[in-house]
Amino acid sequence: MFKSLLALALSLTLCSAISASELIEVKGKTLGRENHQFIYKDKNACKSCHVSGKKSTTDQACVDCHGTIDTIKIDPKNLVNSHANPHASVHYDTAISCIACHAEHEKKAPLCAECHRSWFKEM
Amino acid sequence: MRDRRSFLKFGAGVAIGSVAATIPAMASTNDCGPAIKWDETHDIIIIGSGFGGLSSAINIKRSGIKSVLVLEKMLQFGGNSAINGGWFAVPGNPIQVSEGVKDSPALLVQDQIAAGRGMASEEHLTAIANRALDAFNLCVDSGVRFREGFNMLVGGHSIARAVRTVDGTGGEITRNLYKVAKSEGVDLRNQQYVEDFIMENNKVIGLKVRRNFRYPDLTTGEIVFIKANKGVVVATGGFAMNKQLCKLLDPSIDPTMDCTNAKGATGEVTLTAMSHGALAVHMNMIQTGHWGSPDEGGFGWSNALLSITWHEGMVVSVLNGKRFMNERADRKYCSDRILANRYEDNSPAYPIAFFNYNDHPDDDRVVRALRDEMAWKMDSVEQMATKFNIDPKTLQESIDLHNKHVAERKDPLFDRVMDTAKHLAPPFVVSRIWPKVHYCMGGLKTDLGCRVIGSKNLEPMKNLYAVGEATGGVHGTTRLSSCACLEGLAGGFIVAETINSDNKV
Ligand SMILES: Cc1cc2nc3c(=O)[nH]c(=O)nc-3n(C[C@H](O)[C@H](O)[C@H](O)COP(=O)(O)OP(=O)(O)OC[C@H]3O[C@@H](n4cnc5c(N)ncnc54)[C@H](O)[C@@H]3O)c2cc1C
Repeated sequence: MFKSLLALALSLTLCSAISASELIEVKGKTLGRENHQFIYKDKNACKSCHVSGKKSTTDQACVDCHGTIDTIKIDPKNLVNSHANPHASVHYDTAISCIACHAEHEKKAPLCAECHRSWFKEM
Repeated sequence: MRDRRSFLKFGAGVAIGSVAATIPAMASTNDCGPAIKWDETHDIIIIGSGFGGLSSAINIKRSGIKSVLVLEKMLQFGGNSAINGGWFAVPGNPIQVSEGVKDSPALLVQDQIAAGRGMASEEHLTAIANRALDAFNLCVDSGVRFREGFNMLVGGHSIARAVRTVDGTGGEITRNLYKVAKSEGVDLRNQQYVEDFIMENNKVIGLKVRRNFRYPDLTTGEIVFIKANKGVVVATGGFAMNKQLCKLLDPSIDPTMDCTNAKGATGEVTLTAMSHGALAVHMNMIQTGHWGSPDEGGFGWSNALLSITWHEGMVVSVLNGKRFMNERADRKYCSDRILANRYEDNSPAYPIAFFNYNDHPDDDRVVRALRDEMAWKMDSVEQMATKFNIDPKTLQESIDLHNKHVAERKDPLFDRVMDTAKHLAPPFVVSRIWPKVHYCMGGLKTDLGCRVIGSKNLEPMKNLYAVGEATGGVHGTTRLSSCACLEGLAGGFIVAETINSDNKV
């Protein structure tokens, strides 16, 4: 499952649509996102996101690099319908954490899929 | 704040899926038990960020109280309020006024009392209804948009008084109130699971909180103790998502029933309050809806779609291809009939409900249901029989028999009123049905000022307040639709006044 380290360079600005970066083995058996490979090279990699304890985290690290939800636009072409835009949600708008929908170490369907079951896939 | 110490007793925590409490470094103990080392201190802590929590936060902050903290356990703010249908009962709303409809808080309360079947509290309902316009104006002033000229008569009301948000969800209200609260200096935090109250005798003085909690894992995060100098407001909503508790309270709610609620509606704070002596009432009054679909989450499109089916279509059991109920009867009757459809292993045999596609091809209720695959267009009886595993011949016979009853305008099988029934012919719009748990009428008993009543002496507990669905004994047997939105938002106005008057003395 070796992927080119070129992915490194693509990381931050490449935040396309309703798709997340590929899930690959990044450190031992740990899965992580391809565009985050550079993070895992660091000795204290875990601490970049898990500030207090391994099992819990907030979206602080996501926001620090990628910006807040309202600044990350989703291409409407990738939505099943115009209501299905999680970054401009009528339910939450900015009142939601990135990790309600995005997961670093596993595939996950966004929160919206709890009700709107046919709108989203795991990513 | 770290060094501030007081000598207090720990209470018994109630946590769903219980976790061993991590007790932080203790100071010396005295007769009252171990000391608490507070991690931070605020004037008011509000637990929950739905209608009740957000309205309380804004109103309390505006009343002059300086440090207001909102704790929300989930990753998202808004609870059930953020996914709700956006129906909001407002007697005296501007659309009623412009249309010359005469309404008043008292008239609303009359309707609610009828639905409450003798179990509602007229005084509480009145206190809430009197704040309907305040609540509505808070929304409008916060940027919430309601549908232009839209004022509907919804189930159980005697008059059209429900307005609705443009997007048809309470999220329009919560996301705007969240922004306003934030901009006015309320401290709003997610991933904060309130695990226990810290009591000093009958008075709540702070909370034990799991900071950076990651739902649903109760071993995540770290324990902190937060002091609340002027009070704690419980705005944690209902417990419809807590299957174990629902089953204990109402054995007729069985585990095959899905729930319309957000996942966080598990009620542990209500139980925690009870463990410290709060009085809870009407806990077994749990509202279910027979209009649910197993093919979507939440409230979904099913209820609106079935508003066509109940009248124009028919409902058939997949077990024998036959009708089994009066489609237009009440919620309880229909629920019982539907739930009786079981396979031998007791798993649900979801009945199918259908009507003529060609009568409503462009109806929004149909279009979105088909689009989101919670209903299907079936071009022939054969196709429908195959999809739902029914004998095609019996299914055809059932439809023929029903059509005969439609023509005669008489239903000898179940005595349904047939005035709106239609002759059925494919293509059909077909959906599956199964009841869902929806709302908790029960919860913490409060006085008229939102003070939580203690069970020891039936007097208010000190510094403990509750608003919204977390309270009980307000609506009685049935909560009317569009009134929960009102209840939560109005509660924020009432509790702010109470807290200020309690802190003057
Ligand atoms: C799908 C659906 C549609 C509805 N439609 C309508 C409608 O159109 N009109 C209407 O009037 N009513 C409707 N209702 C009912 C109404 O939405 C709810 O009763 C109302 O939103 C409750 O508001 P609340 O503020 O009391 O609680 P909620 O909005 O549920 O907020 C409670 C919050 O507390 C949080 N919380 C719980 N426990 C803890 C804890 N231990 N620590 C920290 N936080 C905690 C929860 O996560 C949640 O965010 C609907 C309900 C549902 C589920």
